[in-house]
Amino acid sequence: MIYIIADNITSPLGATTGENLEAILQGRSALRRHEGLWGIPTAVCASLFSREQTARMTREGMTRFEALALSSAREAMSRCKIDVASERTLFVLSTTKGNIELLGTDGETRISPAEAAEHIARALGLTTQPLTVCNACISGVSAMITAERLLEAGNYDTAVVTGADVACRFTVSGFQALKAVSEDACRPFDLERLGLNLGEAAATVVLSRKAPEGAQALWALEAGAVNNDAHHITSPSPRAEGASAALRAVASEGIALINAHGTATMFNDQMESVAIAGCGFGDVPVNALKGYTGHTLGAAGILETVLTAAALERGFILPTKGYGERGVSGRIDVVSALRKTDGRRFVKMISGFGGGNAALSLVRTEAEDAPEGKKAPDFVRTHNVEITPERVLVDGREVACEGEGLSKLTALYKQHIASYPKYYKMDPLARLGFVASELLLQAEGKERKEEDTTRGVVLCNSSSSIMADRAYETTIGEGDNYYPSPSAFIYTLPNIVTGEIALRNGYRGETGFCIMPRKDEALIDRIVGATLLDRRLDSLVAGWIDCTDDTHYEANIYIIESNK
Amino acid sequence: MEELELELKQEIIKVLNLEDMTPDDIETDAPLFGEGLGLDSIDVLEIIVLLEKKYGIKLANPAEGKGIFRSIATIADYVSKNRKK
Repeated sequence: MIYIIADNITSPLGATTGENLEAILQGRSALRRHEGLWGIPTAVCASLFSREQTARMTREGMTRFEALALSSAREAMSRCKIDVASERTLFVLSTTKGNIELLGTDGETRISPAEAAEHIARALGLTTQPLTVCNACISGVSAMITAERLLEAGNYDTAVVTGADVACRFTVSGFQALKAVSEDACRPFDLERLGLNLGEAAATVVLSRKAPEGAQALWALEAGAVNNDAHHITSPSPRAEGASAALRAVASEGIALINAHGTATMFNDQMESVAIAGCGFGDVPVNALKGYTGHTLGAAGILETVLTAAALERGFILPTKGYGERGVSGRIDVVSALRKTDGRRFVKMISGFGGGNAALSLVRTEAEDAPEGKKAPDFVRTHNVEITPERVLVDGREVACEGEGLSKLTALYKQHIASYPKYYKMDPLARLGFVASELLLQAEGKERKEEDTTRGVVLCNSSSSIMADRAYETTIGEGDNYYPSPSAFIYTLPNIVTGEIALRNGYRGETGFCIMPRKDEALIDRIVGATLLDRRLDSLVAGWIDCTDDTHYEANIYIIESNK
Repeated sequence: MEELELELKQEIIKVLNLEDMTPDDIETDAPLFGEGLGLDSIDVLEIIVLLEKKYGIKLANPAEGKGIFRSIATIADYVSKNRKK
């Protein structure tokens, strides 16, 4: 059992968990309609920090994003005693676009979320290499699950897990291009819902294998699961396979509520209702909190978990602001007014682009001495593929390949794969991952199944989605050059490559994407071992995949078989 | 109209990266989604951007587009009636 020993929420509603809960109990929302933001031609309804709030967080030498994440982590850490500088303490950052505001500026060298994570970790006094989880909208829950497993497996004793994102022209225009946003306050699960609103926030949980001395009751992470839909890169599956599998893996009888993702997009809420009702939880209260803070992207999973836990501790289930009449086909009990409860267990659900779905079960429990952890299963690498501009190796044997730079990938595609026209729509990172995985699976030589719930995809890099970021940026120029491209925006989420591989092969196991400052084989092995703590998985496609320009790219991926 | 249809085919091949396809491969009246070219929801959004950029047509709600995006012929018909550039 891994405990939450401290937490924080920093949003426009307040700088602590308590301030946020109080504001929400008073029915306050930070969503406002803004005109003319960042030169975007349409109105934007979002939850944004005021100039005064931003000024209070500002730190010399830190970007707005880093200062926000740092404020949240610091406040949480001030509420607990941990050995900050220990080699057994880890910092995990959850974000979708981190410092994307730096794109095209002098500060661009530190645009990778891994760089931001390192700055924040050092400012906090941590000494170990930080980890960034970049798994689109499910990042926050993914990050908590990853940290929980790394602690369970005995790799660390303590983890500070912070989720954060700031709103800017880049992200707001992208969600607009996807027609996912509403110009008015969002209405989760409602008949008249029109889309989501973005929100700026950071949230932190400090996780520990040991309960602090003198602690009586604590929240503990009970079980976590991630499953891909293998349905579509942006649309959730109408049959909700992934969300249902994740929910079934973690939910037990006697949960007081399910805190849903509830973005208020037509498809997300519909899909979640199908999953919840289909898993037999039609009678369990369901709420969604985006009517207060908007969709806070990398912070969302952590923020909403912390808020739900804080409300339950006070005996409340928070109402779903914006909800009036059920507009989803799954018969679920959406909470529209504050309810009393004495429940002590809940599930957080979340879904996102790339087809990922996550669920995490939490329980309020007596503090015990640290029970024995779980040993991560041993694993073996059965096949491997390396692709660089210099050479292509499959299981150590060189494969001849024409072309120069990234055009090599298309040559490999034509020669060894073909008949998957979607290849041409992918960005270079996804192309690299796709081609490498195809060569890898050809070497493995198994027949492709319709669906496979026992295999997952976990990839790592250091440059996130920099090529896709640059490509999208060219579509959001000034004036007559402002035509945000939805397909270009999608690939600015680096985890999309894991979704492409899952989609191609029917993989419904876990998909995840981690970013680290430098390629660190030992850390990758820890992440792989931790992922295999999900006993439903038999194998993974895993490894390193980085792509910065035409002459700098590297895929080094393998098939991992678990000896569970 | 034929000229516009040809232009639309060329533009759609370009913006949707339909590599290895030529305008001759796209039948003017064939469905673009599902069994036809097999385009998906992101492709629709990308075609909406194309209509705005090239013809000055703003389509705020993709739901309006259901009838419009049936085939090249229906898009051409809509563009010819609503184009601003």
